Amino acid sequence: MASRPLVRRKPRDSLPADDPQLCRLNTMTSSRSKLLPDIGFMTVVESTEHGFFGGYLVLNHTGRPLEFHCTAPVRPNRAQEILYGPTLKPYLIGEQIGQTLWSQTKNPPSVICTDMPEILHVRQFSKCPIALLKTNSTAAAAEPPSSVSSSSRLDPPHPDTNAPMGISLCTFHTGDYTLSVAESYREDEAVVQEQYRLLGDGFDLFEPFDRIHHAIQEAQQQ
Amino acid sequence: MRNLTVDLELRASLVATGWQTALFRKPSISLSSPAVQISIPDVVSIPFGSHSIPVRSFDFGDEGDVSSTAPRTGKRKLSGLATKTPLPPQARGNSTRLQAPHDVIKLKDRLFYALQPPLETIFSSKSLEFPFPPFPYQMEGVAFLFTRQAAMLADEMGLGKTMQAITSIRLMAYSGDLKNVLLICPKPLVTNWQREFQLWAPELPVTIIEGNGRKREWLWSMPEQPIKIANYELVVRDAPFLKENDLEFDLVVLDEAQRIKNRSSATNRAVRSIQRKRSWSLTGTPIENSADDLFNIFEFLRPGVLRGELTPRRLRLATQDYLLRRTKDQVLDELPPKLFRDAQLSLSSAQHQSYTLAEKEGVVRLAGLGGEVTVQHVFELVLRLKQICNFDPATEESPKLDRLQADLEEVAASGAKAIVFSQWVRTLRRLKKRLHAYHPLEYHGKIPHRDRDKVLTAFRDNSEHQVLLMTYGAGSVGLNLQFANYVFLFDRWWNPAVEDQAINRAHRIGVAGPVTVTRFITLGTIEERIDEILQQKRELFETVLADRESPPSLGLSQDEIFGLFSLPNPISGQHAA
Repeated sequence: MASRPLVRRKPRDSLPADDPQLCRLNTMTSSRSKLLPDIGFMTVVESTEHGFFGGYLVLNHTGRPLEFHCTAPVRPNRAQEILYGPTLKPYLIGEQIGQTLWSQTKNPPSVICTDMPEILHVRQFSKCPIALLKTNSTAAAAEPPSSVSSSSRLDPPHPDTNAPMGISLCTFHTGDYTLSVAESYREDEAVVQEQYRLLGDGFDLFEPFDRIHHAIQEAQQQ
Repeated sequence: MRNLTVDLELRASLVATGWQTALFRKPSISLSSPAVQISIPDVVSIPFGSHSIPVRSFDFGDEGDVSSTAPRTGKRKLSGLATKTPLPPQARGNSTRLQAPHDVIKLKDRLFYALQPPLETIFSSKSLEFPFPPFPYQMEGVAFLFTRQAAMLADEMGLGKTMQAITSIRLMAYSGDLKNVLLICPKPLVTNWQREFQLWAPELPVTIIEGNGRKREWLWSMPEQPIKIANYELVVRDAPFLKENDLEFDLVVLDEAQRIKNRSSATNRAVRSIQRKRSWSLTGTPIENSADDLFNIFEFLRPGVLRGELTPRRLRLATQDYLLRRTKDQVLDELPPKLFRDAQLSLSSAQHQSYTLAEKEGVVRLAGLGGEVTVQHVFELVLRLKQICNFDPATEESPKLDRLQADLEEVAASGAKAIVFSQWVRTLRRLKKRLHAYHPLEYHGKIPHRDRDKVLTAFRDNSEHQVLLMTYGAGSVGLNLQFANYVFLFDRWWNPAVEDQAINRAHRIGVAGPVTVTRFITLGTIEERIDEILQQKRELFETVLADRESPPSLGLSQDEIFGLFSLPNPISGQHAA
């Protein structure tokens, strides 16, 4: 299980200095902040036949792929489904698949985008900000006007929800996108905003997930 | 009531049982230990802890960067791109993805394509601009060519094969995949390609292979010129030089690839002898006569792909990953319609007499040849009769011309332009005299190549020139004449595919309104008989190519040619036209 829940906040200065995954976060506010960022995209594809496939793609600022990792399918057994209950997906996706994918990183990106709330759990294992991408249609109604951040708590009303268990979210808008970071890493918002600004408005944050889906499909066929 | 009396006095006596001693015996006590142990229950442990999940990792590093920001061929830098049309990011809704061809086996190579951004994003990120926004199907064509070592783009005429090829070359030049490209096309189209490169890839230096032998050798050997354009005739002539000097190209593109449909021709041999890494062919008519046409083009593209008996199904399966064909009906909802009308005319009386006499004499002569008769003899008669259908040889009467003049009056009055096709230069010259009011221009084999571009420019830009007179041979391929809304087929070609090519010079992307095609047919003549056969073949062609099924013979077979005069064919089953 998670070594540290996301609702608790770990001071960033406690990160091990020799952590091989140390990403550019520490240098973002320094002279390297002007460098064009690489962006990671992490998602999980659920197949009724095979289980969960994890995919993680790192792109440079022009959208060129730098590295790609995908997991073999992971399928929980019936006992796990019963015993984990609503915590199964956050555990499986966030802690098992997400953490495994992150551990393979060779080019640590500036920010990781995800379209799955469960992936936010990976933040507790990584040094890299993770932003949950929402479609405007799902976020607009309840959200405050743009450029104003808000906090909300996602407590799933029943086990079927996709919301991560017990993660408070800090939601904000940048460009055409509505993004959320874990409330316990609220300072990630500024990093995400800055990196998106460096990328420019033309960078499509949704599109790379299509690539991951295609790539997983391709890998699955071999 | 009745009284009942019972005697209650009972007698008792002692009886010895012998049990007394037993009462004084000590009891014997024994211990028994029944098992009270409860077995330890089995425990099923369900592993919840971390277990390693197999991961496949692919590091792309700097390889195959299709997103670099400058062309890696040539020395010239990006310039002159500022006024064109940039593709919006993702073209907002259009997303054309690269897909690995089937012959790419390694997973990493396949993923390389799957993980690239959509083409729209790549072009946008490079700030590559276009004179006109490409259609989505054109982007698909670019994606198709870009990923293939061997490819045939067989779109119907007018869909922009030239643009798709140039854009693919441009993209590959930027990605560093191409440094040395040879484009081979028919001679009249060399300047057309040069113009199109200037339009669609102005930053790519283009060299035309021309001049005398020494100059050509010098041009062939210029490594810093990434795009070379040569006509088929020169390639045939210079093939030995290319071989001797071991010149290799990253890509060889054949335009109007049906030029190599005959395997035994010098053109086919010369083209196949060129050393190359990639081979593309462009043609609107991959099958002009028979499946052999396609087979021979594939011997250039990917020798050995087509082997054995070419059943329709095998042919389709074997070529499907290499061949992309779209028709206007499939991809262009907004292209104005092409309207056909047959002008069925009667011969003048003088013409009729001439025609009847010529036909009788001709048939008698053919019959007299008996077994010696050849398809060439029949051709000669057909041509003679067709010429009479155009003009009476004695009086020069021509109901076709009368009708053409009447139609052109209307065309001219509307300010539109027309193209008139004929098989013969002589016919066109006669027309020119009679149509002088419309300041007609000529474009055919007798016009020097150096003057042909000027003819087209004058026809396009000068409103005074309302008619362009073209032969099928010179005007059937590669020209963009979409500013003409009327096409007249003064006489008919043998092959509907060639007629279609001619018509599609005008009916192509950019045409402002419907294109009206008028086909002149004289009733009761050889033209009517040929038209009936061509009509049947056209229907078959459309059916077959729509389904990518069996490629039929589109030209007239020898049987059909002999059949025009009800003659038996001494040698059956051969294609002649």
